[in-house]
Order: sequence, then C-alpha cells, then structure tokens
Amino acid sequence: MKRNDSPTTFLRLDIVLILCVLGLIALGIAFIYSSGMTSEGIQVSEEWIRQIIWSAGGLGLMTAFAFIDYGRWKNWSIAIYLGTLALLVLVLVIGKYIRGAKAWLGFGRIGIQPSEFAKLSLILLLAWWFDERGRGQDTLQIWLVAAGITALPILLILIQPDLGTAFVFIPILMAMAFAAGIDWRILLFPIAVGTLVVVGVLGYAWSEYIAVTPAGFFLLFTEKSLVRISIPSLFGLCLLAGGGWLLFKKKIYLALLYIFGTASVSYIGIAGATRLLKGYQMMRLVIFLDPQIDPRGAGWHIIQSVTAVGSGGVLGKGFLQGTQSHYRYLPEQSTDFIFSILAEETGFLGSLIVFGLFSIIIFRSLYIAYTAQDRFGTYIAVGIAAMIGFHVIQNIGMAIGVMPITGIPLFFLSYGGSSLWMALMSVGILLSIHYRRYRNR
Amino acid sequence: MSQTEDPSNRGIRIRLIILGGIILGVFLGFTLYLFNLQVVENLIWEGRAEAVSRRSEPLLAQRGMIWDRNADNPLAINLDSYAIRIIPAEIPPSNPDEVSRRLASVLGMDASEIRVKIPGNWHNSWKPVEVADGVPYKTVVSIAESVERYPGVEWTGKPYRWYNNVGSISHVLGYVGNITVEELQILYNRGYANTASLGKSGIEKAFDGILRGKDGVLYRTVDVKGRHQGDDVEIIPPENGLDVVLTIDRHIQELAEKALGPRKGALVVLKPSTGEILAMVSYPSFDPNRFNQPGTGNFNTLSLNPDFPFLNRAVQSSYAPASTFKIIMSAALLGEQAVDPEMTVDCRGVMTLGNRQFWCWKHSGHGPVNLKKALEQSCNIYFGTVGVEYLGIDAISKYAKSFGLGSLTGIELDGEVEGIVPTKSWKEELYHTPWTPGDTLNSCIGQGFLAVTPIQMANAVAAIVNGGIIYKPRLLKEVRRPGMNVVVEKTEPEVLRVIDLLEPEDYDFIREAMRGVITEGTGEWAVYTKSVEVAGKTGTGEIGFDDRWHDWFVAFGPYKTDNPDEQVVVVTMIEASDSYDWWAPKATDIVFEGIFGHKTYEEVIEEWRRRRVWWSWDDKDLPKPGEPYIPEPDEVDE
Repeated sequence: MKRNDSPTTFLRLDIVLILCVLGLIALGIAFIYSSGMTSEGIQVSEEWIRQIIWSAGGLGLMTAFAFIDYGRWKNWSIAIYLGTLALLVLVLVIGKYIRGAKAWLGFGRIGIQPSEFAKLSLILLLAWWFDERGRGQDTLQIWLVAAGITALPILLILIQPDLGTAFVFIPILMAMAFAAGIDWRILLFPIAVGTLVVVGVLGYAWSEYIAVTPAGFFLLFTEKSLVRISIPSLFGLCLLAGGGWLLFKKKIYLALLYIFGTASVSYIGIAGATRLLKGYQMMRLVIFLDPQIDPRGAGWHIIQSVTAVGSGGVLGKGFLQGTQSHYRYLPEQSTDFIFSILAEETGFLGSLIVFGLFSIIIFRSLYIAYTAQDRFGTYIAVGIAAMIGFHVIQNIGMAIGVMPITGIPLFFLSYGGSSLWMALMSVGILLSIHYRRYRNR
Repeated sequence: MSQTEDPSNRGIRIRLIILGGIILGVFLGFTLYLFNLQVVENLIWEGRAEAVSRRSEPLLAQRGMIWDRNADNPLAINLDSYAIRIIPAEIPPSNPDEVSRRLASVLGMDASEIRVKIPGNWHNSWKPVEVADGVPYKTVVSIAESVERYPGVEWTGKPYRWYNNVGSISHVLGYVGNITVEELQILYNRGYANTASLGKSGIEKAFDGILRGKDGVLYRTVDVKGRHQGDDVEIIPPENGLDVVLTIDRHIQELAEKALGPRKGALVVLKPSTGEILAMVSYPSFDPNRFNQPGTGNFNTLSLNPDFPFLNRAVQSSYAPASTFKIIMSAALLGEQAVDPEMTVDCRGVMTLGNRQFWCWKHSGHGPVNLKKALEQSCNIYFGTVGVEYLGIDAISKYAKSFGLGSLTGIELDGEVEGIVPTKSWKEELYHTPWTPGDTLNSCIGQGFLAVTPIQMANAVAAIVNGGIIYKPRLLKEVRRPGMNVVVEKTEPEVLRVIDLLEPEDYDFIREAMRGVITEGTGEWAVYTKSVEVAGKTGTGEIGFDDRWHDWFVAFGPYKTDNPDEQVVVVTMIEASDSYDWWAPKATDIVFEGIFGHKTYEEVIEEWRRRRVWWSWDDKDLPKPGEPYIPEPDEVDE
C-alpha cells in the first residue's frame, strides 16, 4: 500500500478510537459545565468554555501527532526526556505553589504542569530503550537502566511534592518492561516489594491512628533500637543466601536470596515511609482506611464523593440535577472529582458508558500495540495504554472510595489543559502508529 | 503478514492479553462495585445526600416569664433585642478591620473583641458569626440607616432576658447564659442546641425545662460553605416556654430585703402551713442585667468578690445555730421526758465541766430556772446541765435530725448544703478523736460542730408551729401558659417529714415559751410590732471575736390563731460583721409589722420613729435602712 492514498487516508485512521475519545471529551465538557452550575441555575464558572478551547487545541495537536511519523520520536526521545527533566527542575525553582505542590509553570494566566508531559516523554524514552537495546542483552541490565530512567522524574516530582503523579510512572514502567519481555522474576521483585510496602504502611497507619490498641508489630519499623538490629540481620541473611549460591550453585539459595532481598528492601521501604511521610499524607492513608475518622475534615472528600456517586442510582438524578455537586459539597468537581458528578447525574448507566469508552480505548491501544509495524510503536502503545488505564483506575477508584485520594486527573474528562493535551497527544501518537501499521511490511 | 508465526510476536501477544486482562479486570471489578454502590445501596446514599445538603437553624422559642405569687407584674421578661452577626466572607478584603472598627464604635465595644470572633479563613467563611447580643432596636436602626458602611453585617431578633426586679430576688431567680461546651455535652440528648441559652442558677436553672420551651427548626438547603441555596424553606415552629409563678410575694421580698439591709446574711419568710416561701433574701446579691457591662456589676468582677455575692446564704451556707438550737433542745427534753419541765437548775452564771469553765451569757446568772424560763432567758447553764446530764449527744442529734437539720430540705434551688449534725461516730471518723462531754455541752447551746442553714431553721420552726409536720419548702406556685394565663400545673403542699417524738402538748409548751421570749425574755427589747403576736427565739453565735457575733432570730406569728394559713415563719441570720447591732430580731420585727400591718419598710420605720421603739434615735445608733446590693451604676448608652 502506498502512503497518502487520499481516498483511504481517512479510513486508515482508527475511527473507533477517535470516536471514543471525542465522546469522553464531550462528556467532560458537559459535566464541567454542570460542575460550574449553582443550585439556582447560575453558571459561575468559565471552565467549560476554556475546556472547549483546550479541546480544540488538543484535537489539533492530536491530528498533528497522528500525521507525524511516530518513528521520528525515536531520535528525539532522549532530547525530549532531558528537556522535560529540565522543566521539572525549573518548576522546582520558579514554579507556583498550587494546592501545596510546586507543580505549575506559569505563563501569564495559563499554567502548565511539566509532570504531565514527563509521562509521555518517559514513554517515548523507555520505548526507545527497550526497542534499541532490548534484544539479546541481559534483561537485568536493561531493566536497571529502565528503572533508572523512570526514577529520575519520579524523584523530581516527589520533591514538588506530588505523590500521586509520581506514582503513575511506576505502572507505566512495569507494563512496558513486561511487554518488552523482561523476565517475570525480575518484575515480580519490585511488585512484591511495592505490595509489601503499601500493605505495611497502610497497616502502620491503621495501627497508629485507627486501631484501639496499636499493634506492637509495627514497633519493629519505628523503634530505633529494633531497626538497628533488623537491618543488619536481614542483610546478613541476604549475604548468607548469596554466598550459598556462589559456593554451591544450587537454585534453592537463589530463591532464598530473592525472598530475603524482597524482605530487606520492603523493610527499609516501610521503615523509611513511616519516617518520611508527611502528616497530611499519612492522614490521607488513614482516611482512606476509615473516612469516618474525620468526617468534617480530611475524610470529607471521600464521604462526599461516595455519597454523590451512590445517590446517583441507576439512571442518575439527571443532567444539572445533582444535589451534592450543585450545593457544592463536592470538592474539585471539575478536575479530580469529575467522575463523582457524572455518576451522580447519570447514574450507573453513565458510569457504565464511561467504563465502556475507556475499555475500548485500552483495547484499541493494545490492539495497536499488537499490530504496530515495529517494536518502538508497540512499546509506546503499551505505555500509553498503561498510563490511561492506571489513571482511570486511580481516579475513579478514588471517587468511589476504593483508592486513596491523590490529585491525578481522569483523562479527557477532567478540566485542565495540560492533562488533556498530553492525553490527546498520546492518542495522536497511537493514531500515527495505527496509521503506519502496514508500512514496509 | 502472518505475525502469529513469529515466536517473539507470539510472546508479545500473550503479554498484551495479560496486560489488557489486568486493566479490564480491574475495570470490571470497579463496575461491579459501582453496581453495588449505585443500584443496590442506592437508597442509603440517597438518604445521606439529603441529610447532608439540608441544614437546620434553630428558631428560638420565647422563654417563659417569671411572676411572683400575685402574678400581676413579671419579675423576669424577654426584651425584644437583636444579635449582630457578621458574614466573614462579605467583609471587603481591601480593608478587613474597618468593619470591626465601625461596628465596635456603634456597639460600644472594643474592636479587638469583634476581631477575635472572626475566623482566620474569613475570606471564604460564609457562616455568620455572632459578635454581640442584647443589642437594642435603636442601635440596629442606626446600623441599618447606613448599612453600606457595614458590609457583611446582619442582625437577627434574639430575645434578651431582662429582670425587672434585681437584688436579693436575683438569688431566687438566678440568671441565664449561653450554653457552654461542657453543659452541651451533658444536655445534648435533651434537645439543647449549641446556640441555646439556659438557666445557670436559681429558678432559671431549676425550671429551665419549663421555661425554655422548645426551639423550632428552620430547614434550608445550604452548600458546603454554608451559603443558602434555593427557597425550599421548611419551618417547624417553636413552642414558647411556659410561665412560672413563684410563691414569692414581691412586696414581702422587698420588705425583707430592706429590713435586712446592707448586712451580710439571709432572711427567709415561710408559710408553715404549706411550705411556700414568701421571701428569700440573701445579701450581698447581684444584678444579672449588668453582667455584661464593665464595672463592679460585671459577672467576672462579681465572681472574684470576696463577699461571694453569688452565694445564696439562705440555702447554700450553714452556720452554728447558737441559742436558736435551744428550741430543739427543749423538744428533746420534752420528747424524751428527760426532766420535769418544772425542775429548776440554779444558774450562777458559770459552770465547770472537767477542768473547763463554762459561762452563761449573763455572767451574773439567772438564778433558779425551769425549762420555760431557761428558753425565754436563753440560759446556757440550764441547757448545758440538762443536756450533758440527762440527754447526751445521741438524743440531741436524734432530735436535731428529726427536725430536718443536717439534711437537705429539697427546695428547688441548686447548691443547697446539708449542714452538720454531729454524732459520736461522725467526729471519730472525721477527727479521729473521741467525743467529749465538752462537745455535748457545745451542742447543747448550738455551738461547736453544729451547722444549719437558715432554710433548715425555718423548717424547724414550722415543725413547732405545725405540731410536728414539716412541709417541703418550695418556690414554685404554679405553671401557666403565657398569654391566656391558663394554669397548667399547680404545686400542692408536700409533707417533707413528720416528727412523731413529741406530744401535742409539748409543741404547745414550746410555742408558749417562744412567745415568752418576746414578752418577757431575750426578745423583749427587740420586738415591738403590735400588729401580730410574735413568738421566737434569739441566737447569738460565738465565732471567736469578742465584739461581734453571728446573729439569729427565728420567729413565727401570729402566736395563736384559728387560721393556720395566716401564720408565717421568719428566720433572720446575720453574719458577724464589724458593726454588731443585734439586728436580726429588729429585722424580723420589721418584717412582721410590714406583713401584718400591711406596711412598706418605710412606713414601718416611720411608725417606729414615731413610737420611739428603739433605745436611741441618735443618728449614730440608728440602723441604716438597707439598700439592696446593686453594684455601682454605670452609664448605659442609649
């Protein structure tokens, strides 16, 4: 097939993907409009107009990215990555504090969030890395470099501090590494450590703030004298297992080393987290476990959001009829909690539609990854699918009370230029990969 | 294009399916969770959404008024007044202190007082903050006239409690105040809101449940910042409080208050046939209308006053009964038939018990005295001798307790004290020393450990008048529905205790002896009223000074009557003070003359002056007519 075959150009675009994205954007604008409405029916916010403008610009970007050969990003990926790192440093220096985090670069009245674009630049660089160096090399080394590439923006974003956004990079890395064929035993290690740390920190929060009698078990992580004993002994066990492997070359020692290593790193992670997490971050974990502990204060957001969603019912209260939202019980309804207002006003049916559209987008992304004509395209598509998927899980999970509160947006729906443009650029790249799937085959 | 044949492509396919499976699996889980939340549990959340978006505001009920027994002129009323509130978010951000300053000057407050009430996040705080209450209509008008100068300021009607009669009656009426956090914790389940006013003492506290009524509720929908949304207002109207009619007669109260005068102490006028209290005076007192004004009448200043103006000395303070206790002693001697009333003891002014000398108040001695004469003359030697030799402390305390001493009378006022009736075991438990005959001797003349409240003494005298029956002293006559004056509830006399240790003749004997106190005994030179035949008993309490004594007079009148309803008991107790003028019998005398001669205090004094009843009418000796304790007047801005 030839390129620029005009009658078929349009058909070669992924129409289903585009329609889903357009549908979500339209829903987003509608409910941003709704969120700005007071109970007297007065529109007090211009956000919906701005979102239309943002959308128009974003769709333009998407089109541009769709027609740019995604292969070109390969040579630029390192430069883009370094550029976003520079922006992340810059934002720490001259950024504006918004809601407690120095995450915004202001240009006049418009602000952008470099951390949003860092996600896409990371996907490009990781795709390049796995594609370029991914073949025939020791997978551990590839993995370590990829982890290092991911760690740099995470660290810079943690300094802002924006725990939620920083956390998004991890599933992107894991999904792309998995797709790139990194040994599952290597990937299992960070997953195991991560799970243990999360469970450990949640358990600590539960023990300290909710349980009637704190569990003595967690003294193991907080009591200095115990920490001083635990760390050397865990490392000793690792050394013993490692020595056994070197001496006897029996797999059992490798397995032991794996287990002890996981335990050691998790231990350090939990002990570190109990010291480093700020009071409000700890409180978010606590109220995630039990919102009723502070219903008027920190637990307010969760309770109000779940109330809004739950009161929506099967068909919802109707567009512009939500009480929770119009009486302003919901915080940040146009951004982080856009799903709550949507679920309140359109009910379970609306929620199903949103999940359906996102599912199709994920499906299409993975299909595009599968049909991509090269590995670079495959990895990019996987990274984008993981990014969108994780955002949806985290944001909606937060709105329905099954995930802790983090300020990350719901793509296409939430108000905000940076995330919308980044999402639409990602879709543009997906379209480009799809468009060129038969090239040179 | 057969990608499936490529082995690495096959691996990728499996991996993509796994990835997609994980993400879609979570999506599916969320969908099921949402199904449960929105479809299965929908009703629960709908209810919560309703509850959280409706906010209620109390509609204050009118507090019931308090009347005296004549019910013609209220003692406590509600003034139409206003509370000034500020909506902090409406304060202009450019000059936030300006409003507080202007408001302060028009309200006569300090600007800092207002500023501390405005929360730190005032920029987006839409919840009104009350900065002043009891603001008169005039002030509100002057604010309203130039409302543009007071952005964010609003006002609401908030009735203000006003006491038409203040002074000694304030001890009875008490006062109201805003509910405190601690009180709210306790009363939370009884329908008190955090904005409620409630009675803090006296009648206001005792009958708060009757007086306060039931606040109504105004429901309206508000947003998270407290701004009103929509017009769907729903009102549950308030139920106004009921009026309380007291047994107090405000004319007798005023008479008694003036008769006691500026002397620390208490005066109780009791109707023995029913237990109704006609007057209850305690000095010093206070003026609740001035609590919030600076000066000596300010609540905080009064709280620190060393004379304890908030102490209702009639019920909350106990004193040695001194010689008035000889009434109980006489009852014990007669009831136990310990001595023949005609048996005489020769009083030579002094007796010896162990190695201690014990003097009669009359050092020259009374000579031979029998029981009646001993009571009339208040002979210490007689009662000391027979008390120690024939009665003993067990019998004395038994009779004291049977007359209600040492136990609460159950009057409606809170903070009543029990006083002390000592017994052997009581002393051993408290002091770890055994009871001595000297202790008994002290008890015989109402000194030592004995401590009684004026209201208890009034009850004891009532028992003598009634022949052994004590009615529960009470202040509540009836409860009325305001406006229509429908009596909702009427309190009936309630027998508090019945003394079955004495024969009716014994009471006759004591009454006669108490009459003798006035006609030929210690009260001879203090009681001059001709309007009524008074019987009584003096008491002079040793408190360790040579020139001042606690001064008691307990009395009843008329001495003999066919109509018990007209009898009253008057108990006057005056704390030892610098200028001892043996005023208790004189105050009691004035009260009797006022009640039975239908005179005011001034008219009684006029007549006394005319009759030249007292020893001397030199200005030096003339007791100053009492003024109720009203703190220094302060100029009130009108």
